Amino acid sequence: MAIEFNFPDVGEGIHEGRVVEWLVTEGETVAEDQPLLKVETDKAVVELPSPGAGTVLKLHVPADAAIEVGDVLVTIGKAGDPVSGETADQAPALVEVPRPKPTEVVQTAAPAGKRRPLATPSTRALARQLGVDLASVRGSGNGGRITDEDVKRAADTPSGSAPIAVAASVGVAEATVHGEVERLPVTHLRKLIAGAMRASKQISAHVTHVEEADVTDLFEQYRTVKASVEADGGRFTILPFFIKALVAVLKKYPIFNASVDEERGEILLKKFYNIGIAVDTPQGLIVPVIKQADRKDMVELAAEIVDLATRARERTLGLDELKGGSCTITNIGALGGVFATPIINQPELAIIGLHKIQDRPVVVNGEIVIRKMMYMSISFDHRWIDGAEGARFMTDLVNLVARPGLLMARL
Amino acid sequence: MVVGSVSRGCQVVVVGAGPGGYVAALRLAQLGKDVILVDKGPRLGGVCLNVGCIPSKALIHVADLAYEVQHGQSMGLNVDGLSIDLPKMVAWKDGIVDRLTGGVEFLCSKNDVEVVYGSARFISDRSLEVAGDDGVIEIQFETAVIATGSKAMELPNLPFDGDRVIGSTEALSLQEVPPRLVVVGAGYIGLELGTVYAKLGSEVTVVEFLPEIMPDLDRDAAKALQRRLKKLKIKLLLNHRAESYDAGEDPVLVAVGPDDKEIRIPADLVMMSVGRVPRSADLGLEKIGVATDGKGFITVNDKQQTNVPGIYAIGDVAGGMLLAHKAYQEAKVAAEVIAGEPAAFDNVAIPAVVYTDPEIAWTGLTETEAVDQGYEIVTGTFNFKASGRAMTLDSTDGFVKAIADAQTKQLLGVIAVGRGVSELIGEATLALEMGAFLEDVGLTIHAHPTMSEAFQEAVEAALGKAVHQVNK
Repeated sequence: MAIEFNFPDVGEGIHEGRVVEWLVTEGETVAEDQPLLKVETDKAVVELPSPGAGTVLKLHVPADAAIEVGDVLVTIGKAGDPVSGETADQAPALVEVPRPKPTEVVQTAAPAGKRRPLATPSTRALARQLGVDLASVRGSGNGGRITDEDVKRAADTPSGSAPIAVAASVGVAEATVHGEVERLPVTHLRKLIAGAMRASKQISAHVTHVEEADVTDLFEQYRTVKASVEADGGRFTILPFFIKALVAVLKKYPIFNASVDEERGEILLKKFYNIGIAVDTPQGLIVPVIKQADRKDMVELAAEIVDLATRARERTLGLDELKGGSCTITNIGALGGVFATPIINQPELAIIGLHKIQDRPVVVNGEIVIRKMMYMSISFDHRWIDGAEGARFMTDLVNLVARPGLLMARL
Repeated sequence: MVVGSVSRGCQVVVVGAGPGGYVAALRLAQLGKDVILVDKGPRLGGVCLNVGCIPSKALIHVADLAYEVQHGQSMGLNVDGLSIDLPKMVAWKDGIVDRLTGGVEFLCSKNDVEVVYGSARFISDRSLEVAGDDGVIEIQFETAVIATGSKAMELPNLPFDGDRVIGSTEALSLQEVPPRLVVVGAGYIGLELGTVYAKLGSEVTVVEFLPEIMPDLDRDAAKALQRRLKKLKIKLLLNHRAESYDAGEDPVLVAVGPDDKEIRIPADLVMMSVGRVPRSADLGLEKIGVATDGKGFITVNDKQQTNVPGIYAIGDVAGGMLLAHKAYQEAKVAAEVIAGEPAAFDNVAIPAVVYTDPEIAWTGLTETEAVDQGYEIVTGTFNFKASGRAMTLDSTDGFVKAIADAQTKQLLGVIAVGRGVSELIGEATLALEMGAFLEDVGLTIHAHPTMSEAFQEAVEAALGKAVHQVNK
């Protein structure tokens, strides 16, 4: 009998994705566990293996199609087995040049046994407008009724479908009046980033504190280690010093390594130090997480950073490598700028910005000398952390990076 | 393109000007689209306005009046010498049709919707040709909405002859009341028009192939209707297949019953109402690859999109319930989707009304559907025999039944049988769309004395706290 392979629930609130490409064609014979297709979910591209051996009878969704958990992706069976007909939604052809080939049509009827979410017509219209799937919203009203507020909240949650298309449409219609425009599709990753950024700005009361660090000595240490590691054929960057300094200060100020459960009114201080590293990729920002940074030495950290960054650019990171962070570092100094005000990676409470290192004249013991200087910033959630805490945190942090000896004592 | 023909362009072409098509065209025009509406003509409005909903309701109203004034003796009303002028009745009905179809034309012109008369056929997924009285023109479009509706199904052994074997269209414009009318098919159209002629004086026999009338109808409702049909002296021949018609000296319709027993029914006129089929066959759909189901209905998604990008379908031709108000809603959804708005057909309930005597109206899930969907249900019924308002109308036939989820008490469906219940089903549909619980309806004050009180009473019965009847 033919089996239908659905887009599986990969957990952690991921319920949509995009088919990047099919690795098999209809009529092809596949073995169990043979990769069938590549799917872009959250911030990773994953290969989905075949659940069994057989002939590919039907691909139900075209490449590039948006898919949701539970959608039938492919039917596998013996040649001649009957295939049921539905496919995933096809994109509305509103600006159609040129038209895609006809595909199969979605049936309107809901599958038997699947209850409709309880929501009024106006709330359902709002959900469509904000791109929220009501099936994934928990209603807070009487008898589980979904309210407008529930829909708006879902729209603002990063894991929810991003309402970007609509939000961005303000003034878009007129754009074409003022001159020629090029229309580019918004990628799935871009939508996720946009949703996450907007949500973070709405959730947290961002404040940024900037401090200056003298990294002359640290840089010296870094050069020594780098030469040694590279002589052994490895790779080394300066980032591990900052990770280690950060972990040390986070241990002293645990509120910066925390999340807040607002519903229960509880602060969750994390007893683990998983540091997210913002990586710039051609498709957009990706933040892989270095797990247990406190238990790894700097050489190990350097190797892991190189590996994660490379695979982030290749889009081959596993989903678990993008989750579970407790604090994040964004290293934007290499690209220039004095300092920036990064956006917190939810549900964390702080993000550290590392800015450009440059030689600057500095007054030391009454004399002007040339030192390697840099600005370091922390953007934190002022709802839960006071400004004074932020200042103390940064004073300690720059102290550690300015004095590698002190840092060594804290490893 | 045919040499010498005219070519036109527009953003959206809508094919068919029935309730689906004209609403889609008007809404598209309101949304700023440049629209051409194509219709076979001669008048806009489709089956609904011309030969369906509206004209049939006009005749039903007059037939009801005629019947009632002759049956008011118990209320002290004695009428002698009532005469029925059918040509005048039909002319009055035609006047209503003219006013309404003229209204659609007026709205089209005020909204700058251009109307082209003729039969449309797709040449490609971006163009179609319209064959009209003035030749063939080609229309190029960016988007097309197919709204060609449905038509009465014909049986090969009983083809329409336009005279003695007719469809519902002709039955709406008869010039004399047939002494003996045989209706083939006990669906809602056959029963509505059969009742009209029974009340106007015809001897009516309804021949139905299936063992029951309107098989999808709630069985309590079907029973109530059947009782009333008997009172109206309408003969019901269930389990009988209409075979042939002999229009000779003693005209008879031959039907075959169980055990192949042949029965000959005297029939001056035979009206066929054995179902409706989509008008999708001559549109050239296969040329552009638009998918249809086994019965010819066009397959669409909840945005009314067919499998061919840029081609939409709405109303009867898109299947589902063949109802004008379903087409209205689908038309608005299609127009808004085409205009880039996030519309979708996501209605919880599509109400349906049958204008028999008594009227039958329902919305949401039937008991069977609710159970099939896995609900444990609770129902509550209020009988019009206990209704003050029904007694004052001398119409105590029927009931209102509420169906709810036994656990959550959410209202799932309502069925009503009785005089004027067509006006009561709107409230029930609103309750369903708003996701009402039984308590919501039970705690809403309903005006007294009205037929609509029965809805509140039925809901209270489902909650086990009815006041005006004994709780089960």
